[in-house]
Amino acid sequence: MATITAALSVNSDITEYGLGISKSMTMNKAGSTKGMELTTGLAKRTFVNNNQVDLLTAGSGVAVDVTASRAAKVYIKNVSTSSTDYFTMGFGNASTNTTATPTNGDATAFELGRLYGGDWMLIPWLAVSTTGDITIMPSNATTADPMHVEYMVFFE
Amino acid sequence: MATTTAALTISSSDLVGDALSLTTTNTLYKAGRTIGLDQTTGMTKVYLTSVSAIDLFPALVEGSIAFTGKTSWVYICNKSEDESEYALITIGGINIGRLYGGDYLWMPWSMKESVNADNHHGDIEIAPSVATGMWFEWTCINEGTEWHAADLAIS
Repeated sequence: MATITAALSVNSDITEYGLGISKSMTMNKAGSTKGMELTTGLAKRTFVNNNQVDLLTAGSGVAVDVTASRAAKVYIKNVSTSSTDYFTMGFGNASTNTTATPTNGDATAFELGRLYGGDWMLIPWLAVSTTGDITIMPSNATTADPMHVEYMVFFE
Repeated sequence: MATTTAALTISSSDLVGDALSLTTTNTLYKAGRTIGLDQTTGMTKVYLTSVSAIDLFPALVEGSIAFTGKTSWVYICNKSEDESEYALITIGGINIGRLYGGDYLWMPWSMKESVNADNHHGDIEIAPSVATGMWFEWTCINEGTEWHAADLAIS
């Protein structure tokens, strides 16, 4: 059993009274106080076109061990520095990895949000087999000017 | 212009052979710009006593989602101290994952309309696992929230 902590700190002057979040969580197994003990490690992936692809595929690879009865957390960061280029992150029965494009991606995939340069996210992952793929689509990736993402999965 | 920063540190001394420490910080900007986000729903704290799924924020209405493609950041925390109690997070009709007691998430949110004509818009829903009462906190920091006209009928 490992102990993994994820400490979030958000600070803002967005209101006159300020807004702050300071929260630490220990990544535990589902319904347990025992820590998760597996990880993909920190992966980095480069994109040279704007195709929508699976970043993580439910029921495949590490996701074989991620099921509805097991806990998993996913960290994803756009490590580019551009304030205009972004990754569109999605969930669902995703693209085929080769044919989906920004205009014909599988309609069952659903846009979750966008990660601009430097943005990151940390979410739980259910990895339901038919709809649980985590998809990604760069906005402006070329061979000459690729875009990069880093990601890491913690699971049991 | 407001300045909002979000920092994360993930650490473990025993997950892998060497100590793991990952720290990242970003400033929350409006979409495609370097102007800080200037609106928020504020931090909500609630005690839910039903397992029925609810929308965290005003429902997105077909054809009039004003802030699609704009930047929104969402924080949701399951404040339960019981590790077996969880909330199922659903977006666009797709189950994203479970937040067990003490867990949180931090993610961008696009407020998208459904692309499947199944009325599963990008509303963020949570469904507690028990009806005996669970505490939650959530907030959205963004470029705008779709506040409805009074008495709007949503089918």
